[in-house]
Amino acid sequence: MHWFSLEYIAMNLGFLLILIGLWGIITRKNILRIIISFSLFDTGTHIVIVAIGYIRNRTAPILDTLALQKDTASKIVDPLPQALVLTAIVIGLGVTALLLVYAMKLFETKKTLDIHRFNDLKW
Amino acid sequence: MVTPVYLVVSLLGIAFALGILGKPLRKVAGVITLATMAFASYISVSWFMGLWFGEQSAAMVFTAGFRPPFSINLLMGFEEAFFLSLVNLAGLFGTLFLYRTLMKSGVNAFVILLILIMGLNVIIMTRDLFNLFVFMEISSIATAGIIILNPHQKTISAGFKYMLATGIVAGILLLGIIFFYHFTGTLNLDDTIRVNIEAWKGITVALFFILIAVIVELKPFPANGWGLDVYESVPGGIGMLISTASASAMLYVVYKLLPIAPPVFFQILTTIGIGTFFFSNLLALKQTHPNRLLGYSSVGQIGLITGVIGLSHFLGNQFGLIAASLLISHYLAKAGLFWISGILNKTHIREWSVIRQNRLLLFLFSLFVFLLLGFPPFPAFYGKWELIMQLAGSGQFFWLGAILVASLLEGVYLFRWLGYAMKLEAPAGEPLRVGWNQYIPLGIFGLATFVTGYYATHLSSYGSLINLIPLAFALGFFLIDFLPVYIKNTLAIAGMGFYFYYLYPDLNGFDMVFSAIFLVGGILTLLAGYAYKGKRIGFYPTALMMFAGLIGLVEAKTTLEFFFAWEVMTAGSYFLIIRGKKSMEHALSYMLFSLGGAYLILAGFSLASIGQSTIVLDILATAPLYAPLIFILLAIGFMTKTASIGLHIWLPGAHAEAETDVSPMVSSILLKAGVFGLIILIIRMGEQHLGSLSILYILSWIGAITAVLGNLMAAFQEDAKRLLAYSSIGVLGYILFGLALFSHLGWLAAIAIAVTHFLFKALLFLAIGGVVWRLKTKEMYRMGGLITRMPFTFISVLIGIIVLAGIPPLSGFAGKWIFTNAVIEKEWFFQGALISFAGIIAFLYCFRLIHTIFLGQLKDEHRKVNEAPFWILAPQYIILIIVMVFSVLPNSLLHPIGEMLKPYFPDGALTWQGQYATSIFGYWNGTWVMYVVVAIFLLVFLWLWFMNRKAYRVKQFNIVFAAERPFRPETTHFAYNFFAPYKKAIGFLAEPGVTRFWGHVSEGSHAIAELIRRIYSGNGQVYLFQIMAFIVVVYLISFGGF
Amino acid sequence: MLRNSLFLIVLAAFAVIAFTLVNAWHPAESLSPVAEHYATNGPTEVGAANLVTAVVVTYRGFDTLGEVTILFVTAAIIGFFLSLFHSESPEQTDRLMPASEILSTASKLLIPFMLVLGIYVFVNGHLTPGGGFQGGAIIASAFVLLLLADPLSKLNHRIIAMVESVSGVAFVLIGLLGIFLAGGFLDNRILDLGTFGALLSAGVIPLLYIFIGLKVGSELTNIIGHLQQTQKNR
Repeated sequence: MHWFSLEYIAMNLGFLLILIGLWGIITRKNILRIIISFSLFDTGTHIVIVAIGYIRNRTAPILDTLALQKDTASKIVDPLPQALVLTAIVIGLGVTALLLVYAMKLFETKKTLDIHRFNDLKW
Repeated sequence: MVTPVYLVVSLLGIAFALGILGKPLRKVAGVITLATMAFASYISVSWFMGLWFGEQSAAMVFTAGFRPPFSINLLMGFEEAFFLSLVNLAGLFGTLFLYRTLMKSGVNAFVILLILIMGLNVIIMTRDLFNLFVFMEISSIATAGIIILNPHQKTISAGFKYMLATGIVAGILLLGIIFFYHFTGTLNLDDTIRVNIEAWKGITVALFFILIAVIVELKPFPANGWGLDVYESVPGGIGMLISTASASAMLYVVYKLLPIAPPVFFQILTTIGIGTFFFSNLLALKQTHPNRLLGYSSVGQIGLITGVIGLSHFLGNQFGLIAASLLISHYLAKAGLFWISGILNKTHIREWSVIRQNRLLLFLFSLFVFLLLGFPPFPAFYGKWELIMQLAGSGQFFWLGAILVASLLEGVYLFRWLGYAMKLEAPAGEPLRVGWNQYIPLGIFGLATFVTGYYATHLSSYGSLINLIPLAFALGFFLIDFLPVYIKNTLAIAGMGFYFYYLYPDLNGFDMVFSAIFLVGGILTLLAGYAYKGKRIGFYPTALMMFAGLIGLVEAKTTLEFFFAWEVMTAGSYFLIIRGKKSMEHALSYMLFSLGGAYLILAGFSLASIGQSTIVLDILATAPLYAPLIFILLAIGFMTKTASIGLHIWLPGAHAEAETDVSPMVSSILLKAGVFGLIILIIRMGEQHLGSLSILYILSWIGAITAVLGNLMAAFQEDAKRLLAYSSIGVLGYILFGLALFSHLGWLAAIAIAVTHFLFKALLFLAIGGVVWRLKTKEMYRMGGLITRMPFTFISVLIGIIVLAGIPPLSGFAGKWIFTNAVIEKEWFFQGALISFAGIIAFLYCFRLIHTIFLGQLKDEHRKVNEAPFWILAPQYIILIIVMVFSVLPNSLLHPIGEMLKPYFPDGALTWQGQYATSIFGYWNGTWVMYVVVAIFLLVFLWLWFMNRKAYRVKQFNIVFAAERPFRPETTHFAYNFFAPYKKAIGFLAEPGVTRFWGHVSEGSHAIAELIRRIYSGNGQVYLFQIMAFIVVVYLISFGGF
Repeated sequence: MLRNSLFLIVLAAFAVIAFTLVNAWHPAESLSPVAEHYATNGPTEVGAANLVTAVVVTYRGFDTLGEVTILFVTAAIIGFFLSLFHSESPEQTDRLMPASEILSTASKLLIPFMLVLGIYVFVNGHLTPGGGFQGGAIIASAFVLLLLADPLSKLNHRIIAMVESVSGVAFVLIGLLGIFLAGGFLDNRILDLGTFGALLSAGVIPLLYIFIGLKVGSELTNIIGHLQQTQKNR
């Protein structure tokens, strides 16, 4: 039963995305698809973080009502993972942007996005 | 002290502020960047000094004004200050080195560098796991940025692979961190972790994710293709930053995380680290691209330090010294080598010969190579020493062996590379241009090797015992290398003379004999140096280094001093040997055998020190465990230097191709270091047994076989110097045999032969060297009839071979006579027979030497050849006088040796009355033998002289008496293949089987390297696959299943 | 194919490892000690009604500094990287299709509102969901819209870089003031904490969020601008 509650769905979905992302990163040939897979992987970790901070039947940690300001600790979900995920998302954004620019430049050098064509350095 | 937070504020604030500057202010951007990095270096170094001298205590910075675990805190402790200093200094000098490139790239390049260094600073200081993640990401993004500072297709694809790899690793790290938070309720490393027993499995898996991510960042084998590609593609200046600054910071992260790591993690760390060290060095064997090679070496060194961290439980309070000295060596050497690579900008290590255009660069290159390999007096020497000692003490023999083998592999490719640089033909190209901004960092890091070495000497537990003065004297000659030869030669001779004078009162016994050979002998051979003109750059520092090492062996009271001296000697002699024109390969094989031998010696000493409270050499005698093994390790180690059969293949080339005065140095003096080592060993450990078999008995066979084969091979040589070289192998075989006899007579003979070998081999090498000097060839069949042109040299050779062959009346005979007595006494008749047989073979090559070179017809082109230069003859005649004294008065040599042996072998089997010696098997009077022989000689001579008047003189071109038709140019000379009939009969014994064996060893390891390195296919996805597989496999191993 | 099937095995093994982690995980039923501290003391210590903001900007402000740095360095790298080989073939300029009427009209209408919304979001970051990153992203998307509507328009990189740098330096300096005026680097109590829930409250957080918003907005715009410029050049 509990598998269908929100936090379990989120947690499992997160890991599913991570695995799908990894699969895509390692098996796709097209660099853009690899980057998309990387985004999936990244998003998966973010969902896992959020799932970790979630506490059932509680509300967001924004104390905009007086009721929330009393006995706050028993009414809100964990604010820390939420803060962390914010940072993680921005980092993921930076990495993804950089990967895309790299992809652009790789395409410029060989006019292809097939990752198997970029094997010049080896051994 | 400046608050550590200013490290972040200054680096980051300036990076942000640089954006305001426009293009016109580019110049200022560079200066500001350097100033900022200098400021950061100042902060970290002043903290380091303060904490070191105890003027300062560790400081904790709380951000946001709250206490951890609620906010993020930064720690500035001793270790942090050390690593921060490394990172910031690397940043400062790395930026300075890249200054011109960066100026071209614009302000953004400086921004990226500042942020990279800032990120590494925080990585080191932060105590918060998530914060660690954030700043690791900053550093890897900034690294991805500096990779493409020099953008071309290779750097871009390497950067892409790098980003994918670090991206995945960061994701795994993040998962680990968030679950760590979930299970423990904190992100702070200093927070007390409330471990819930139910969540134990979860916590360990979360920790595993964190730790494995950090480990993968260290580029462990085999999950490191992405890192190697980066090293290959980027220019040296950037590779330096990755290899020193980034790697140091990541290493510290591993160290920092240890307190929360489960115990099994230490074994994992050891396995991964030392495995990486081993395989990186193995694979590097096949590598030819300089930067990729340095990448392999970097990865390997970091692996070694990781392994040391994993072994920290076994290293006791020496852990700090070991890890720090290994890290410093890696740091300085890799920075220097990457920088040099950046200046040369070549894609094949063979092209590094262009480095010879700039002697300073060549000097630094060899300095960094020796630093990296842990030669004295550099820090890693002490690190490696302590590491091996502690590993032996705690019974970690497997790791001990793995580290030594891997270090040897590292030596193979580094010395091959150094050899290429020193000896290969330089490719044509533009002349090297080195900017002042490149000289400064290189110079400072070069100096730092000595400074850190000095401190390491004093920090290591026994280092302060070491007498650094001879080595310092030798190294001082680098500073005066611009002076002409005769000044340096005089100074060198004076220095050595003074040192002998200074040591003389304290010398006795074996020390006396060997310091006389090393120093007085050294002076004699140095005399020949006056024959050289010009500056002879590099000769004196290295020659003196060898002598410093040799005399250090004699002075050594402890195993550490002995090993120190041994390594100094090896380093010096390597450079002497490689000076020869065609010596590249020979010097390499010399070095590899020496290195292998040195590691065996190190292993032997470490085993001997188990359970003993000191490290004086006498612990060999009291080693409670593994005594036979210690004996074997040390004996093989020393026999690499005495070139016993099987370990001899380096010698002929090395000695034959060396310069005129170097050949006698390495042949007649250097080889005695091995003899001295064997003496020290056998005196202390006596007879050891393997089961019921005496090891000395095995040694006696090795000695006898060496003598026969050495002499046999000498007889079949065409090259005069090679002939002498092989003859050294043979004579050293006698000595080994004598020592193995382990009796008064045996040792008397061995030491007497050691002394006479010094005399006649120096004499012969100088004399033949003089001939080669004039004739410019070493092939004997190109010589002949030189008796008329070089009469003084002829006399030297004549006397030399008489001594060598052990024919009465000269002193060589004494050795032979005593030998015979010793063999009869010991009843080792088979070996004794071999030794006698070897003596007969010696006649063959001795005859050849004098006959082919000096007798017969004078070659047409040699009609105007002059006698050898005076300064080459002078030492020969001094030696001649000594030989004559020892021959007429054998007592003057043998009696002191006999006295010397009495404490060890009291049954003096020889009694002396004047020059009259009696053994139980017979008697011998050197003086009378001399009279008789001289009388016979005179008679025969007069008779011949009388008869010769009737002889019919044949003109050189009168072919009436010829009976053969020549079919190859060499064969026109009757001396070519002189002993063909013997060769037919017993030549198979001289087949180069041993050479072939070592050839197979070398080819085999290269083939394995070639096979394994195929895993780095260059495909980014394959690398990612390797990372994932690595993680899974390590997981399975560490948890023993899922 | 062999590699893919091998990887399938590795991935399956990794999934099993991940599963042990999930299996050991039980959804939290109460706050962790750290979070509990934030919940009970956050309002008084930091004064922000949005506790996530309190954590992001103050308690873990150092992370946020790093986060801003990541965007900054990414923008710097992209700017540097793309400026390297531009000016390849300008003749392709005319191939870009002009934007549709609807898009260009709508963008003119929407951009001011988007900018205002972005500013609203980061100014109120300490009170309501949102903050500097979200606001900055909204502002940047306004510029994306601008570029979509008129692909040939040129962003003034000089001004963007200026905003980026000034707000970055301001962030660091405000953090530094914390050392002198309050408890430490990035302490928000330099200014009065004010009335809980008011716009001008929570110490220096609103100010910091303004700078973060500007910085993130300008950084993202910068990245997009750089990308757009290389497109124009090909």
